[in-house]
Amino acid sequence: MIRCEGLTKYYGNHRAIADVDIHVSEGEIVGFLGPNAAGKTTAMRILTSFIPPSAGIATVAGHDVVTDSLESRRCIGYLPETASLYRDMRVTQFLRFCAGLRGMGGAETSERMEYVIDTCGLAERADSIIATLSLGYRQRVGLAQALLHDPPVLIFDEPTVGLDPNQIIEVRNLIKSLAEKHTVMLSTHILPEAAMTCERVIIINHGRIIAEDTPEALTAQIREAETVSVTLASPGESVERQLTDMTEVVAVRPQGGGIFHVDTAIGADVRAQIAEFVVGHDWGLLELRPVEMTLEDVFQQLTTEEEGVE
Amino acid sequence: MRKVLTIAGKEIRSYFVSPMAYVVLAFFLGVCGLIFALTVTMTQSEANMAGMFHTMIFITLMMTPVITMGLLSQEQSTGSLELLMTNPIRESEVVIGKYLAALALYMIALVASLEFALIINAFGDPDWMAILSGYIGVTLAGMAFLAIGLFSSALVANQIAAAVLGYLMLLFFWLIGWLDSAVEGVLGTIAKNISILENFQDFAKGIIDSRPIIFFASLIVFALFLSVRALENKRTI
Ligand SMILES: Nc1ncnc2c1ncn2[C@@H]1O[C@H](COP(=O)(O)OP(=O)(O)OP(=O)(O)O)[C@@H](O)[C@H]1O
Ligand SMILES: [Mg+2]
Repeated sequence: MIRCEGLTKYYGNHRAIADVDIHVSEGEIVGFLGPNAAGKTTAMRILTSFIPPSAGIATVAGHDVVTDSLESRRCIGYLPETASLYRDMRVTQFLRFCAGLRGMGGAETSERMEYVIDTCGLAERADSIIATLSLGYRQRVGLAQALLHDPPVLIFDEPTVGLDPNQIIEVRNLIKSLAEKHTVMLSTHILPEAAMTCERVIIINHGRIIAEDTPEALTAQIREAETVSVTLASPGESVERQLTDMTEVVAVRPQGGGIFHVDTAIGADVRAQIAEFVVGHDWGLLELRPVEMTLEDVFQQLTTEEEGVE
Repeated sequence: MRKVLTIAGKEIRSYFVSPMAYVVLAFFLGVCGLIFALTVTMTQSEANMAGMFHTMIFITLMMTPVITMGLLSQEQSTGSLELLMTNPIRESEVVIGKYLAALALYMIALVASLEFALIINAFGDPDWMAILSGYIGVTLAGMAFLAIGLFSSALVANQIAAAVLGYLMLLFFWLIGWLDSAVEGVLGTIAKNISILENFQDFAKGIIDSRPIIFFASLIVFALFLSVRALENKRTI
């Protein structure tokens, strides 16, 4: 549904994205993950025909975003990064205005408005003037207009910014449920968000895609060791050395407070041996658990590696 | 067409929910009315509106950049342009929709100003053909001013800057007629032919000629075309 090939964008001499290839198939929900200034918004603006690419091609639902942009725009529901809405309009007026821009008929408009107002939790504020809404509610209005015309492709630029924790969970669930009937691409710099909502994550940094896979595969891919966290009540002086001397153990990293991270070879599960060893030494085993590599770690590792190259 | 009307409707509504519409109408009718009252009582002149049209076109010049200043500049400064232009809509539809909204507000002012003609009619026997031609002239000139104002609003993101730029462009077309007497030959003739005031003279006198109509029509089309291009260029930096 979304295809980019060799997408490049220069702002003057500054290259915001370089050679970006993205393929998103129908019904997929893809997270576009990157630190500030990585080029997420730039790529999304190109996909929504707001700015033209300097090089490369992009199509949405089979329509080129430059040469056939009226058609491609018709297929997209877009939530811009800063949902700048018309402040002097009421929520319902604004949605009606959007419906008009998208050529929706009267009956369809009323029906869809009811649906999006309900879905985005806007019912009590539907008649409020947008300027009087809080940031989170404006974000909801932004989401509502993106869903209004029931487009096949949804592009959300940081959809949960400004929302309270409950609303964040609601929106994530909403996005997940949308994925059944829509193709969704969302950008975020919040890693757990990408891990929770997306089937696939594309990591972008300095305008280049540096990794692309399922959240699980990504963590597996760059993991260099299995790590077990051991918490001890009364660690003796020589715990570190003695643990390191175990045949299965590659390295021991004391974390302070009686916590030790024990690295072992990939694929080996040595928790039983460690438990036995520790109990044998009477160090007072409080906790023993495998350490999952989070997307944060993946991200940090990938982005710092990238910086090392440049 | 429906998209054009959607845009126009939104802008007209925002004119009337903000003080804009009321300030513009009060200013136009207030100043016209004051000058009308002064001329009628002080000069005891015959029943005609010729002087009135000169007042009206000058006030139109003062007022049109204010009507148009926010139309496209605000979309840029608030960032709502992104939401607008990622809809399936053409730049030309946006420009024409906004233009129609500004024109509607201006036409309301003009229609309200018909009261002056009716007052003259009640006390005298004015030449209605002259009044008609004067109104055609004021309408055409106002339409050109609005198109130029809209263009300046497309060029800059700041409302006030857009208004100032609009005044500068209008003043250029207003004052260039003076070159006619200062410069000899072709240049002088050109200056005279693109002067708004020169092109307006005939209408005020009750003469409807095709040349000034063509002049104003081309100015409108050209300014609207430039607005569309300016809006397109905003995003292609
Ligand atoms: N209109 C513009 N003119 C010039 N440079 C720009 C413009 N928009 C973005 N940039 C630059 O392009 C780069 C990418 O910006 P972009 O907004 O795409 O980042 P992002 O990934 O969305 O970041 P964030 O997480 O902060 O939203 C940045 O270095 C930014 O300064
Ligand atoms: Mg961004």
